[in-house]
Amino acid sequence: MLADTTSLDEAISQFVERVAAIPNLRGPLRLQFFQDASFATETGKDWQETFRKEIEKHHLAVTDDPAATPLRVGLAETPTQLVFSAGTRVSEKDEVRFLTLPRTAFRAASLPVAPIRIERQLVYQSQDRILDASSLWNGTEGGGMAVLTYHNAAFSVLRLDSSGQSTQTIPLAAAVAQASRDPRGELTIRASDGVVLLPTKSCEFTWTASTEAKCHAPKSVWRTATVLTPSCDAGGWKLLSDGADWAMPDVLQVVPDGSLRQGSAALLTDFPGPILSINGEQDPASALVVTKNLRTGNYEVYKITLACGN
Amino acid sequence: MRFTKSLLLAAISASVFALLASLPMLATKHPKYGGTLRLELQIAKVSLDPREWKTGSVAAAENARLAALIYDRLVTLDDYGRFQPALATEWFHDASSKNWQFKLRPNVKFSDGSALTAKDIVTALQPVLPPGLQISTTENGITIRGTHPVPDLLEQLASGRYFIFRVQSDGNLLGTGPFLLAESSPPTPAEANPSVLKPAHIKFRANEEAWAGRPFLDSIEVTLGDPALRQILNLQVGRADIIDIPPDLVRKARQDNLRVWSSPPATLLALRFDDAQSGASDPRLREALDLALDRDTMANVLLQRQALPAPALLPHWLSGYAFLFGTPMNLDRAKQIRATLPANVAAGSDPLRLRVDAVGDLMKLLGERVAVNARQANIAIQLVGHTVPSSMGAVPPSPSTGLHLIAWHYDSLSPRTELLNLAHYLHSEVSADALPDTGDPEKLYSEERRLLGERQLLPLLLLPDYVGIAPSVRNWTVSPSGEWRLADVWLDSGEPAASNTETIPSRNPAPGVHP
Repeated sequence: MLADTTSLDEAISQFVERVAAIPNLRGPLRLQFFQDASFATETGKDWQETFRKEIEKHHLAVTDDPAATPLRVGLAETPTQLVFSAGTRVSEKDEVRFLTLPRTAFRAASLPVAPIRIERQLVYQSQDRILDASSLWNGTEGGGMAVLTYHNAAFSVLRLDSSGQSTQTIPLAAAVAQASRDPRGELTIRASDGVVLLPTKSCEFTWTASTEAKCHAPKSVWRTATVLTPSCDAGGWKLLSDGADWAMPDVLQVVPDGSLRQGSAALLTDFPGPILSINGEQDPASALVVTKNLRTGNYEVYKITLACGN
Repeated sequence: MRFTKSLLLAAISASVFALLASLPMLATKHPKYGGTLRLELQIAKVSLDPREWKTGSVAAAENARLAALIYDRLVTLDDYGRFQPALATEWFHDASSKNWQFKLRPNVKFSDGSALTAKDIVTALQPVLPPGLQISTTENGITIRGTHPVPDLLEQLASGRYFIFRVQSDGNLLGTGPFLLAESSPPTPAEANPSVLKPAHIKFRANEEAWAGRPFLDSIEVTLGDPALRQILNLQVGRADIIDIPPDLVRKARQDNLRVWSSPPATLLALRFDDAQSGASDPRLREALDLALDRDTMANVLLQRQALPAPALLPHWLSGYAFLFGTPMNLDRAKQIRATLPANVAAGSDPLRLRVDAVGDLMKLLGERVAVNARQANIAIQLVGHTVPSSMGAVPPSPSTGLHLIAWHYDSLSPRTELLNLAHYLHSEVSADALPDTGDPEKLYSEERRLLGERQLLPLLLLPDYVGIAPSVRNWTVSPSGEWRLADVWLDSGEPAASNTETIPSRNPAPGVHP
């Protein structure tokens, strides 16, 4: 068991060492790879190529010659582990080698990059459920952000600096409510204070005071569609998500605002999971979008900026 | 947690322009509360008492799906390999993994309003824990002590029979889960034709006090025992929301444009040798039959690619190494080995009798295919039909059989436990040294290879579970242990939900009145 590995490449390197140590294993070897479908798009061929390079580092030649000794190599994802396995036959004897690591130690590959139209930037991720996020910078970079989290039926607001470190936590003890499978909340940040809107309460807090948030019966309505106005288009573009199926990746739709252009065209960008909130209250040209990454299970905050030109 | 501002400046896509006829005008949509989910299952009866379930049986898996509606576990496993707290909020173990402590979630209530206690946990789990594990209460929870290390205890507790329930004085079981049992009616004779039984029904309704939050659905109505074709029709015409589909009808369902979900392979179809018939214990006969079986054709032709050839006892998704075994078909070698056997063994006058335990055309067809493959290696196999009681209630005597076609449903998230269960089922000796407590995959692989080498069980095919789902069903997800997460499912009627109102029903909604 490899307990603390966080890099797939490191794991492959250690796995190859075990394979290369099989007594009397000599090249050239014909590699036959087996992998789960779940790796087809993310890690894809990368781990196979890494394995090939690592095995060659151990002076074991690799060939496509069908007559060469086959070395079957697999990477599988079981419910709790990643399992590397390799099997071959040496001197009339079957030899197998394994390496396992917890799935939670696996660092997912980056999302693919595509041509620019909408700039999307992953700015924060957490295993805790994030209900909403708001930037603090008011158009100026470096101000950090605030996120509204929900954990064990309790709400909290975290203030994060520009490096993602939590600098302040404001528990909303007065907002503890009946547990819900669909906890909802919206975060509005002002200069030195903020408001959290919940289904049954509205809570106000300040960053400067150490007093607890004050909650009372709600008086506002939920946020409507976020409209961004990039510098080159004062007409505005509306950000919409397509659905609420937590099992499906979502699409962020960017459609022209205003009656004349309504329903005419849209920019679309795929997300790795359902979109849970969109907040563009702090910056006319960008918004923070919260999603749950269905691949990793983490809640992620993306900064969406509409870029002028293409 | 980490800031990934510099990690990913993904300037993404979105160069696609699309016509948008009717976009919702909300920033984001949310699930809707309310409605009744209509679930149709082919099984004729259900047991919601985990103590009655037989390990590895297909029926136990069906039972567990429904039991998950009304019971909780101590822990669950999420889709990302992380154990999540359920009725236990924290857990610890010592360095040897022999002693485990679980801290219980406070303020959890059973569906009758009574509080969950540590004693309830002990009473529920002790009868189903494997030998060598003792459970007892502690100050704020429970402890489980093993005579040997149990590093995979969490995997075990997150799957199989390890539900938490309380037995009432009348024998009924209470749970803390998202639903509670509202009604249950057995099969009844139809009025028009009393010889025909109307299917059994079970109704579950939302547990308003569920500790994890009220489920979105108001209720779930389950119909048991309807024929598969009728279920498919019901799904097509909107009379059912979720149905289970047998593998041989999956293709039809897909051709009918139904939404079909499939699981990882969950059921192993295999041939089990018994010693009841003379000759069946001969290892040469077993090897010859093993080499004669054409698993690829069974999967690709007979089951129309809705099954996978089974190279091993454990599926690849559980062990991670099943591909290393390979399927061993070699008809020439099978004939050679058969030629070394006495001529009268598994021959015309005394064929090897194959009993098909499970009911259904698919299993019968599979048995016939096995007989055809065997015949190609000069091994005679005769199918023995499923034994049913006579009209007098007596079971007719059946001839001794040497071979059974069986279905084994994987019900543990621990490969080690699953292999131990299979070995136990085969009455095979497995020493503590052979199956290590460390979860060492090389030793697990070695033990599985040894069991395969005994050829008491010849794996044939791996079957996924197939489910037909109505378009209105949202949030359909399934746990790694195969349980349907129906507490998160909601029904989309197509009408937009109000964005500025709370849609959770009140705790005591008026009958028939829902948001």
